[in-house]
Amino acid sequence: MLDIRVENLRKEFGSIVAVDDLTITFPAGSTTCLLGPSGCGKTTLMRMIAGLETPTRGEVYFGDRCVTKLSTRARNIGMVFQYPVVYRGSNVRENIELPLRAEKLSKAEIDRRIEEVVELLEMRHAVNASIEELDNGTRQKVAVARAVARRPQIILFDEPITNVDISSKLQLKRALKELVTRLKQTILYVTHDQTEAMTLADQIALMKDGRIVQYAPPRELYDRPNDVFGGWFLGNPGMNFIANFVDGNQPGAFLNPLFVRPLRLNGTAAGPLTLGVRPEHVRVYPDARPDAVRARVLGRAIVVGGQHLVTLQIADFVLKAKVAADVGRTLMQEAWVHLPLDRITLFGADGHKPDVALHYAVDHQSLHPTP
Amino acid sequence: MSTANIAQQGEQGIARSRRSPLRAFEESRLFPLALLLPILLFFVALNVIPTIWMIGMSFYSYSLMSPAPPSFIAIDNYVKIYNDADLWSAFSRTFVFVVLAVGIETVLGVLLGFLFWGSANMPGRRVALTLLFVPMVVTPVASGLFWRLIYEPTFGVANYFVQLLTGSKIDFLTNVNWAFGAVLFVDIWMWTPFMILMTLAALGSVPKAELEAAEVDRLSIWQRLWHVIWPHGKFILMLGVLLRTIDAYKTTDLVFLMTNGGPGNITELIGLKLYRYAFASLNIGFSSALAVILLLIAISFTSIYLWVLNLRRYREGA
Repeated sequence: MLDIRVENLRKEFGSIVAVDDLTITFPAGSTTCLLGPSGCGKTTLMRMIAGLETPTRGEVYFGDRCVTKLSTRARNIGMVFQYPVVYRGSNVRENIELPLRAEKLSKAEIDRRIEEVVELLEMRHAVNASIEELDNGTRQKVAVARAVARRPQIILFDEPITNVDISSKLQLKRALKELVTRLKQTILYVTHDQTEAMTLADQIALMKDGRIVQYAPPRELYDRPNDVFGGWFLGNPGMNFIANFVDGNQPGAFLNPLFVRPLRLNGTAAGPLTLGVRPEHVRVYPDARPDAVRARVLGRAIVVGGQHLVTLQIADFVLKAKVAADVGRTLMQEAWVHLPLDRITLFGADGHKPDVALHYAVDHQSLHPTP
Repeated sequence: MSTANIAQQGEQGIARSRRSPLRAFEESRLFPLALLLPILLFFVALNVIPTIWMIGMSFYSYSLMSPAPPSFIAIDNYVKIYNDADLWSAFSRTFVFVVLAVGIETVLGVLLGFLFWGSANMPGRRVALTLLFVPMVVTPVASGLFWRLIYEPTFGVANYFVQLLTGSKIDFLTNVNWAFGAVLFVDIWMWTPFMILMTLAALGSVPKAELEAAEVDRLSIWQRLWHVIWPHGKFILMLGVLLRTIDAYKTTDLVFLMTNGGPGNITELIGLKLYRYAFASLNIGFSSALAVILLLIAISFTSIYLWVLNLRRYREGA
């Protein structure tokens, strides 16, 4: 198995820097998602790894082998493009078969591999169909099958389900999930859809403006974004941000209307700090509690999964919170809000996470001993 | 703005347009027809009527050399053509000329086209391409004249080099063994650039993504040609072949200037034959019949092309 390593990789298109001196390793045998908004350079990065784009400078390695100067064909990878790319002149079976024939595999081996991918992608009914008869979703499946059947050590997916109609999207997503869990290859998957990245990835590289903002497993990236961008981009809606929450050099204990008890900072940072908390991590209660502050309910909406998205006002701060339907229904004008400290992230003035943690000024345990 | 408001505005818009006659004309069904009218008139006056006239003429005996008025002779002209051994040999000569010229031009054009396609980033490519197209943009009459001078045995450039190499000269245009090849060569020189252009256009019609996928999939060169490039490129390339076929088959000016059909009748192509009957012998009836036959042959080329490539399916993108 091969890992993919890029070193100081850079790509400029005229005056635009698409990929900005990236150094990163995508581990062997696992699925990495390159996640980011349109135009963040993720596709360019992938195309440079594929050899379809020449880097302005920097190197690409597959394992220990430097492939920067190699042609695409010499890199021996599989790739699925954003638009379903199929060979129009051939039927489904021929499409999958062509690369296998090019590898000079035996007839029996070719049949076995086609059988295998057709089974895996649930497309037995379409094997002998001509490409013209297929919808985009099935065409994309053909493209996936073609890339996978050859069993390259590295497979690249460039937003494979973005341009597929809604009805095929779900099915294709399920097929891809099945595929990435079964395949033992190194998979790199470009997407701007966070749900896709969350479901498929072993680790996510979050990209912005040609740089990687954070590189972590999905759960960690979601719960512990180390940059304002990660907090904002992930989640639906993204994080609540409370700007100027406290100064990074605050020496002693301080009070804040969001918290019942005084707080203190462990560590220091320059400039004002921003507090970030995800809507689903905000605890909301219909009745008063000793660890919760009172909030005014400004609005309510029902979101995916039957949850309620509640807009709350505490002093001058406005927070969004996601709560279960049964809680959401009981909330009238007032609610009590508790922000768990372990779910809170502080961001510095530059947007990055400083080396500062938020604590209660007096230990929680000593005041409320838990049984 | 409420929907009622929008509806009201829309109505006002329609009412206003009714008031202006120009606007009403623009929206009427006559408008597209009016735009088409000039070219339609042009087409009917200069294409349709002369063609019908010619077809009619082909059933008459009518010569500008004789004072007799045109007389209807039914298909006698066609019978005469059928029985004319000289014309048959001109047809077969033309057939050989077309097959060789178009065949060689296509092969060379495709090879050079691929070369230009593959060297997209080479410096000097544009200059080379421009130079290559010079023969195509020079009028055939001028090329014919130039080449007669180049082939000229006493001071021609070609013969200067032939003499350097072999010690003797070749009279290209009057030698029975060389004349046909010499004319063929000039046609190839003139029209290969056209096939390069068509090849480049054909290659340009192959979706870039499919070429990239073929590269990723490590398809062999033959697989790429046959499964990726040909299904997309065949329409334009074969259109080039069709245009060249029709064009080569009516080659007249080149042979007229270079050899005037000689030596003997070795380079006498059917176009030249037609020219002689019509404008040297002024035999209008007979030459009309011959022209009708040539027209039918050209139409059948086109039909075969459309049928083979199934153009309608291509247009629908199915």
